[in-house]
Amino acid sequence: MKNITKALFLAVIGAGLIAPVQAEEVHMIMCGGEIREADQAVISAFESKHSGVTVNAEAVPWGTCQDKSMTLAAAGDPVGLAYMGSRTLKQLARSGLIIPVDISDEQQGMYQPGILNTVTDGGKTWGFPHAFSTKALFINCGLVEEAGMACVAPKTWAGMYNMAKAINDNTSAAGVGLAAKDFDNTMHQFLNYLYSNGGSVSNADTGEITFNSPETVETLEFVGKLAGVAQEGPSGYERSQLTQLYNDGQIGMYINGPWGAGQHNDNIAEIVVPIPAGPSGESGTLLITDSIAVFKGSANEDLAMELASMLSSGEAQYDLDMSWGLTPIMQYEKMMDDVYYTTDYWKVFVDPIGSGGPEPMFEDFKALQAGINSAIQGIILGEGSAADLVAEAAETLAEGL
Amino acid sequence: MMDKYTFLQKIGIYSSLALFILFMLLPFVEMFIASLRPLTHLFSRPDVPVGETMTFMDFMSRFYSDKMSFQAYRDMWVTVPQLPRYIFNSVFLSTAVTFFSMCFIVPAAYAYARFDFRGKTTSLTLFLAVNMFSGAVLLIPLYKLLRVYGLLNTYWAMIIPGVAFLIPTGIWLLKSFLEKIPYELEEAAFVDGASRLYTLRRVILPLAVPGLIVVGVAMFIGAYAQQFLFAITFNQDRDYMPLPAGIFEFIGYQDVLWNEMMAASLVGILPVLLIFLFMQKHLIAGLTSGAVKE
Amino acid sequence: MSNLIQMLKPKTKSQTTTLFAWALIAPAALVMFWIVVWPLYETFRLSFTNSNLGTLMGGAEYIGWENYEKAIGGRKFPSIVTRTFYWMFLSVGLKIVLGLIGASLLASNIRARGVFRALVMPPWIVPIAIGCFGWLWLYNGHFGLISNFIEMVGITDGPFSFLAYKQSAFYSAVVTDVWIGTPMVTLFFLAAIQGVPRDLYEAAYVDGASRWYRFRRITLPQIMPTIVSMALLSAIWTFNSFEIIWILTEGGPRGGTTTLIIDTFKTAIFSYKFGAGATRAVLVVLILGVFSLIYLTVLDKLNKRYGYSGVQK
Repeated sequence: MKNITKALFLAVIGAGLIAPVQAEEVHMIMCGGEIREADQAVISAFESKHSGVTVNAEAVPWGTCQDKSMTLAAAGDPVGLAYMGSRTLKQLARSGLIIPVDISDEQQGMYQPGILNTVTDGGKTWGFPHAFSTKALFINCGLVEEAGMACVAPKTWAGMYNMAKAINDNTSAAGVGLAAKDFDNTMHQFLNYLYSNGGSVSNADTGEITFNSPETVETLEFVGKLAGVAQEGPSGYERSQLTQLYNDGQIGMYINGPWGAGQHNDNIAEIVVPIPAGPSGESGTLLITDSIAVFKGSANEDLAMELASMLSSGEAQYDLDMSWGLTPIMQYEKMMDDVYYTTDYWKVFVDPIGSGGPEPMFEDFKALQAGINSAIQGIILGEGSAADLVAEAAETLAEGL
Repeated sequence: MMDKYTFLQKIGIYSSLALFILFMLLPFVEMFIASLRPLTHLFSRPDVPVGETMTFMDFMSRFYSDKMSFQAYRDMWVTVPQLPRYIFNSVFLSTAVTFFSMCFIVPAAYAYARFDFRGKTTSLTLFLAVNMFSGAVLLIPLYKLLRVYGLLNTYWAMIIPGVAFLIPTGIWLLKSFLEKIPYELEEAAFVDGASRLYTLRRVILPLAVPGLIVVGVAMFIGAYAQQFLFAITFNQDRDYMPLPAGIFEFIGYQDVLWNEMMAASLVGILPVLLIFLFMQKHLIAGLTSGAVKE
Repeated sequence: MSNLIQMLKPKTKSQTTTLFAWALIAPAALVMFWIVVWPLYETFRLSFTNSNLGTLMGGAEYIGWENYEKAIGGRKFPSIVTRTFYWMFLSVGLKIVLGLIGASLLASNIRARGVFRALVMPPWIVPIAIGCFGWLWLYNGHFGLISNFIEMVGITDGPFSFLAYKQSAFYSAVVTDVWIGTPMVTLFFLAAIQGVPRDLYEAAYVDGASRWYRFRRITLPQIMPTIVSMALLSAIWTFNSFEIIWILTEGGPRGGTTTLIIDTFKTAIFSYKFGAGATRAVLVVLILGVFSLIYLTVLDKLNKRYGYSGVQK
């Protein structure tokens, strides 16, 4: 059947404007703009194992990457597999564009708590988790001390606010870096606060939106308060721009992932602390995964599935996590003795995993983003009370579930 | 005497002109300066201690840094290895679009300029009406159309829509030019027994050359300017991407590499600027000789 | 068979002409039909379906007027439409004014005229996207030139992110749009001004008319046809202006710069809701069509009253 269709297809084109897909090629898209060494090693191993098969691994920057995979699939020209944010899985699954993946029970047991939730929908797993991150608060000690306070981890929101205010008032820098641009990591920043306040977005089992709650309103109010001691014009900033400000000594603290240490200038003395807890909850964090999805109907579906599985299995995954500085996605200590995340720095990112919340799985993930970001921008621009904004966002979310 | 200005008037004119041009060129100047600065300097504000205001010297410090260099111009080829390809694609696409458009425009414009026939005004208005849509409105069906014909992710995906949306403007422009060519020349040819086609080829075409150049250049500029939308929607293949879409890639990374992005942009628009510089005399002369009456 | 050919052979000169003319136009017309007319029809058809990511290639259901109800009845729809019109009027107005100023300046008898004319052109020649990236950088709050400048001059006492607030983002987008559109308008006005017969000016000069008077009473009326048609053309393009807003703000803080076309794109391409997106596209076409009709009718009436000559549609 596939051959007949292909022949017809080629006949229609005629002019040979499209190079016929090679029978033994696996097309893979890697979001993030580069192919990591650890992954490349697996790809090479895969190619050696299957002679005659080439893997066309294409690195695409995050901005256009997910849309690219999805548009290609929708147009009937899917890639074999793609490494993308897990948030896309539900929509792809519901649209029938990807196939469920089989993760062995043994491997399933290895994952950190909560990981599998980010790739599961309707009882099936739709992607191999391949990268994981949690968040923490980075604080510039130099600025804190210049403001006259001790550089100690604030445990509560009140403490965090006071520290930010001191920096804001006594130095030329802003207290905290706040992201409010309509970007995915704005929503992520907010979720960190929400999960540290006992709030949630939706109930994974019932599918009900639980966003509209007093905890959420509290969180949004806190964000509004932070805007008063944050850098000017938060609506124009997303997290990577905050990193730039931080490096220029313009903000005293902000939330970032474990890669933060590598991005920051050496001359900044900093400490990394867990997200401070809100009045209604405990310190939590946001669990985000990226995973590898296998597309339906690509030229070499089975090979693609095999490659996906290889890339994300035990040792390969460990190599990636360690070399790339990611939060460990599996509990590797069950598998090996000498793991890389035993330092104090890593403890801050690893310990909260159990109490953290996932990035919600929505079919219309753009609606999720738009809804939450709209509320955040609303409170910062002073366009409504927190309660109203949260209710409005909850409505938008309900449509996107 | 009418054209002489008083000294004051001269100052007024020159300074207004200077302001006007400053406005037009400001982004490019800043882009150039930004491309020369290392990233760390780009992402730093002039240092203003607490409680004080920025001085002029502070402001100027953002322009100059002892680390300024053309490094970005070297790095950008590494960061986006396909950059030369993108630049080539842009020029290639614009040329192709111009070429194909002209093939359709010239005969049609001639028909409208010379003949009176049934359906003339209606069809002309319909052509113009197309100007009313931007391509953005028709993206989805166009996508399906291109998909059905298997033209997605090829050069054609960007050429065909480009041509279609430029044709109406081209016909309109060229029509105005052709209307200026005296009909007597054609009549003389008819009297001598020439066929219509012969007339078109040997009599009209040579005279129409200035107009053709003007319209051709205008089409080229138009094609060059509107590549972005069609490129990002209908084409996912890196090899065929034109420059603006390629530049978009610089934004995708963790840190936006502004200096390299600016450098790449400036280098990328050089071909068009050069072409324009060569043609500008003809272009402006053609347009300002009163040939375009609307 | 020969009867058929007999029938098809043109009988009169005008029939030959018509056939020949259409033969010349046919290729262009065919391309337009294929690329514009059919997609237009398809957009119209799609607007009645619930086409989305999974059903792009088939399988979408017809849902009648539901998309339209949702779109027009949406909370934000009236404000989006108003905003789009405000955007259009403001930007076109500024372009016309600046275009007139620029054209007058460039038409004046100064040295190095050619150089100045060439210098005004870049925003038009350069791809829109690239110009927008330049402005994006200029508008940056902490590191951008404009923000630094107004801080130094004392208007603000801290960085100001132009694109972070609804009002400033909107006007910043207008400025960029004007920047992009002015060169072309200037050029066309320049052409028109140079087409004004010189003796008109000389007669007025001899009568002692001032420059301003000559501009107001001779230049303006003479180039009015150009102004009018440029205005309509520019209005349509500005209404549909997509890239500029998208690159600068993607619709702006909380929808502050969301015009109709941005909303269409967001729904259709960004959220993969093709049916709903098509609905908005149809609405854009309808609204623009009505607007053009009104514009041209008003123009016609003005024509009859004031008797401008040579206004072409």
